Formats: sequence, C-alpha cells, structure tokens
Amino acid sequence: MRTTYKVLAYLVAAEVAVQAMVMVWAVAGLGKWVDGGGVFDKAVIEGAAESGALPFPEILGTIVHGINGTFVIPGVALAVLILSFFTKVRGAIKWAVILLVLVVVQGKLGFLGHDLPLAGAVHGLNALALFGVALHTGRRVRNRTAVAAEQPEPRVATPV
Amino acid sequence: MNGHSGGRHHRLKGAVNPGAVRALRMVLPILATIAILAPLAWLWQASRVPSPYSVMDMGYLDYGGGVAPHPGGGHGGQMQGHVHQSEPSRLITDLVVDAARPADVRVDLVTRHETLTVGGRSISGFTVNRTSPGPEIRASQGQLIEVHLRNESVSDGVTVHWHGVDVPNAMDGVAGVTQDAVPVGGGFTYRFVAEQAGTYWYHSHQVSNPQVVGGLLGSLVITPKSGIAQQVDVSAVAHTYGGLRTINGKAEVLRVPARPGHRVRIRVANTDNGPMTVWTFGSYRLLAVDGTDIHQPTEVSERSVTLTAGARADLEVRVPGDGSAVRVQLSKASAVVIGPAGVDAPAPPQPSADLDLLAYGSPTPLGFDPAHPDRRFDYRIGRRPGFVKGRPGMWWSINGHLFPNVPTYLVREGDVVVVHIENRSGQVHPMHLHGHHVVVLARNGVAATGSPWWVDSLNVSANETYDVAFVANNPGIWMDHCHNLKHAAQGMIAHLMYEGFDTAYRISGPADNQPE
Repeated sequence: MRTTYKVLAYLVAAEVAVQAMVMVWAVAGLGKWVDGGGVFDKAVIEGAAESGALPFPEILGTIVHGINGTFVIPGVALAVLILSFFTKVRGAIKWAVILLVLVVVQGKLGFLGHDLPLAGAVHGLNALALFGVALHTGRRVRNRTAVAAEQPEPRVATPV
Repeated sequence: MNGHSGGRHHRLKGAVNPGAVRALRMVLPILATIAILAPLAWLWQASRVPSPYSVMDMGYLDYGGGVAPHPGGGHGGQMQGHVHQSEPSRLITDLVVDAARPADVRVDLVTRHETLTVGGRSISGFTVNRTSPGPEIRASQGQLIEVHLRNESVSDGVTVHWHGVDVPNAMDGVAGVTQDAVPVGGGFTYRFVAEQAGTYWYHSHQVSNPQVVGGLLGSLVITPKSGIAQQVDVSAVAHTYGGLRTINGKAEVLRVPARPGHRVRIRVANTDNGPMTVWTFGSYRLLAVDGTDIHQPTEVSERSVTLTAGARADLEVRVPGDGSAVRVQLSKASAVVIGPAGVDAPAPPQPSADLDLLAYGSPTPLGFDPAHPDRRFDYRIGRRPGFVKGRPGMWWSINGHLFPNVPTYLVREGDVVVVHIENRSGQVHPMHLHGHHVVVLARNGVAATGSPWWVDSLNVSANETYDVAFVANNPGIWMDHCHNLKHAAQGMIAHLMYEGFDTAYRISGPADNQPE
C-alpha cells in the first residue's frame, strides 16, 4: 500500500510535468503553424479532434492536456486518497486530501480560464504548488519508513 | 500509526477493548473507501442510458407554466417513460406533405465515405454525389422539393437534416427521432415545400459530429417567386477540413465575376462548429439572417457580422464603379473577391466591433404577441463534473441537469412560447431549435429595437442571456440543441415536444441511430 501510495503521488508530480510540457509543445506548434500562414480559430479548435486530420501535429498537446487534466490526474489523486486510508503512515491522509484539493482547484481554474483568462495564470501557479505537494506526499512516506526502521515503535503493554 | 503517538493510544486503549480497536482500524479505511466510491458508483450507474431508448422517455417534462396533459407524468426521474400517453397519440411519421402532390424539384443525393482532396491534402471524409460540399439544391418559393437519398458507403448510416427549413416533422432527418439512419445500400425520400425563401443548408444528423465535420453537407437556397434585386447571386459555404478553411470546398479565394456597379448577394453559410466573423471594406447591407429577411436593412460599414455555427447570412455588396473589386472576408482565413475578372482586392482590416442585430433595421409587427406567452421555459446552460453515458468528465448541464436527465419542453399547437436562454458554462454555444424560427426579444435584458431578428441558430456567448419567442405551429418532436456538434455529442440536447405526438423510432436499436 505504502509503495503504491508513494508511486501514485510521484505519478501526479510526473503528470503535472507532462501537462506543462504538452501545453508549451502545443503553443510552440501553433506559433510555427501560424508563421506558415495558418489561421487558428474556434472552427479549427473544434474540428481538430473530429476530422482525424490535425491542422498541425502539436495540437495533440491540448488534447493530451485535456484528457490528463480531466480524467487521469483526478483519478490518480483520488486513488492516492483511498490508499492513504490503508498506509498507516501519519499524515498520509492529510497530504492526500491536500493533493486532491489542489487537483480539484487546478481543474476549476483550468475550466474557468476559458472564460476568465486570468484564472489561467493562477492555473499555471497552482501547477507549481501541486507539483511540490505531490513530490512531498511521495517523499515523506520514504522518510517516515526510514525513521520507523531506525527507531522501532516502542511496545507498550496494554492493561486489561 | 507508529510510536510517536503511542502514549495517547495507551490511554485510549485503556478505556476500550483492544480487539475492538483493531477491528475499527481495519474497518474504518474500508468504510472511508466505500464512502468515496459508493456515490461515484451510483452517479455512474445513474448516468447510463438504456439501449435502445425513446427520446420520449428522456429526462423530465417541463410544462413551462402551461397545462400538463396528464397528472403525475414522471417528473424528476430519468428514462421513466413519461410521455407514452394512455390516450391515443399520433405518430410523427404522419407529419408529411400531401403524398399526391407532384414534386417540382427532384434531386438524387448519394452519400459516400471517401478520401477528399483539399488544398493538396488528402483527408478522410464524406461526400454527397462525389463532392463535399454536396450539390447545391435550388428551388423557387412554393415548389415541392423531393430528395432521394441513397447511402452508398457510409458505414454508420446517414440521414439528411434540412437546417433552418421548417419542414414537416417526419422530414426533419434526425436519426432515432424522425427516422432510422439509412444503412449502406438503403434509401430515404424527403419531400417538403419550400415555403420560406432564404439560405439554408443540409447535413447528416446521424453520428453528426464526425459526419458533418467530415463534409456530409451541402447548400440549399430557396429563391423568392419575385426574384432578387441583386444582379449576382452567389453561395459561399464555409467549412473547415482538417484545419483548412474552405469556401465551397476549395481552400482558396472564391472569385466571383461581376461588372462595375453590380449589386451582389452573398449567401454565407457557416457549417463549422465555431462562430465565424464576416466583414468587408466599405459598406454593405445585411439582407437576411437564417433564411429570414431583415426589415429595411441599412448600409453598414466598419462592422463585422458574426455567424454562429450553423447560421447563414445574406450580405449585399456593390462592385465599385472604378473597375476595382470588393473583398469579403469569411474569417481571417478565407475570402470572396467580387469584381471584373483578374482584378484582386487587398484584405480589409477586421472591424473592432460587431453589427448589433438587436438594433439593426426597422421594427415591423411580429404577427403574434410574446408579452403574454402560454409557456415560459428556461434553457440555462452550465458546466459541472459528473458522469454522462457512464463517462466521467466536465459536462454541459441544462437547467442544472446532465444528459439524459434533461428537460423536454412540452407545448400545444398554437401556444406562444418564450424561452429564457442563459449561458453560465464559460464557452460559446450555437443554440439550434429544429422546425421553428425564434425571434429575439432581448439580450442581457436589453430589448430588441430593430427589425425582428429571427434565427434558427443563435450565438450565445459565455455569460450572455437571451429571451426568444416563437409560435408552436409545427407539430412533432424537435431537437433543441447546441450546434457545436461535439457539445451535442456530449449531451447538450433537449427536445421540444408537442402534446399528443409520439415516435416509433429509437436511439440505438437495430438501425444504430446516433443523432449526435
């Protein structure tokens, strides 16, 4: 359980990195396409996934970002929370909750950004917080088990 | 738990049975897991739709403050079979034009799944009579159009929906609602009278999201009996194939020969999923929107016209007398150049403001009084997390509900209906009601003051509200959906239903009807 918890927490951090990468990849591809005469508008955006013929390949980045952000990362964060109930590591639940809350906030900010672009800027900032918390959530399990190995839990006789 | 909190545990353990504590420690995580997963599982289960199902069973009935036809008609639940009435109801299949009346215009349409060549690129798509867009159908007002559809190779099946034409319900071409999808090798005959002159288009309404994006569409023009005042009449069907903007299927400027001084009517149709802006240099008149003439349209300049997805606009421009040409932009990416052969025109700068149709043209009587409607409906669009068809995601909601638990608006023939549309979803939605045109009464609470602004496809931007009205004068079961067909496929579909009508067709089922 602990290992899975740790691995999934790290996976959230890795996914946040992927999210940042694919967006910049998409924006760079868009810039190159526009430079070559392409015109980007709603019709291009909405038709991109349906037609099977992408206007420029990097637009895949926005699709990956959407799938990751809507399904994969919330799913993994939820799994981390459920696993935290079973890890028997102090603070595991607390950090899993913080992680999930940040993921939910991140999703909210992302969708809000469609209408309120400034929310997109906060989305970028919150990504850093999410990345840090995900790393910390994973790392502290290792630290804790290391500490536990060095200092065995004192056994206390239980009075009947 | 480990040693750090041992002391506190010691005190706790002193008070209770240690076996019970151990059991509790094992059970609590399981209970917490169930507390999280059980509601999700319930939501998932509740979002699944049976196969096949009737749109008559979808969601809940909204009477809009009007008379409910029978008490206790399944409010609030989903898929409850609420309108399979005990009293005999008429099947919408009967809603056709007189079968004995001969056709004036006969057209054969053959649909195929094949590779299109657009701008030098090969794109997998759909054709009608080997081209995309398909052939333009032209008829004169009052003529009976008869279209023989044959599906040669579109494996999902096809239908033809006459976008913007208020046809009899059985001719509306919606798979699973007004007909079965036409399978490969099958056919269907559409017959309707071209009653209202104007610019329309046709497209498949079976698996419409990929099929329309892939080119299964064409133009339909109904000319007035008296003819038009312009010397040149040209259609410009805008469509995007794989990111390539085209007009009439070509990724190049559409050149229209015209003499100096000629007046030209450009019939623009936006067949994409997003809004399109149209503008020109100098002045123009906006003659018609969505197949309805503007009353006393004035000359406009430095204003663009926004066509929502599925919308049409007829513009009148005049070819300059000095031998130059006039250029009309259909978005930044495509243009129509009209003038003497070989004469080009530079791209006009995009105006910073849009023509406000709320105040364009002159008022004229509507022909009905929307001040005292028989039904008043809300169509509030939102977006929230949840499950649709068993899939998790951020989904469009209608009046707070997700598909299929969406409202069905019930009316009686002759009702005056007012609909309040509100968009709190953060994105634009092109709202399209089948079988009717609606007139805009107000936008964001500001009343319309210009010509009656009749639409069948309305651009509802984020945070906008619209109040629209119409007379329920075309019985049947009609889709009322977002024409960003991706959004429709995601469940942004409601229906307008007339009391006393039923359909025998089913979504899914043997014909695998998938209207979105």
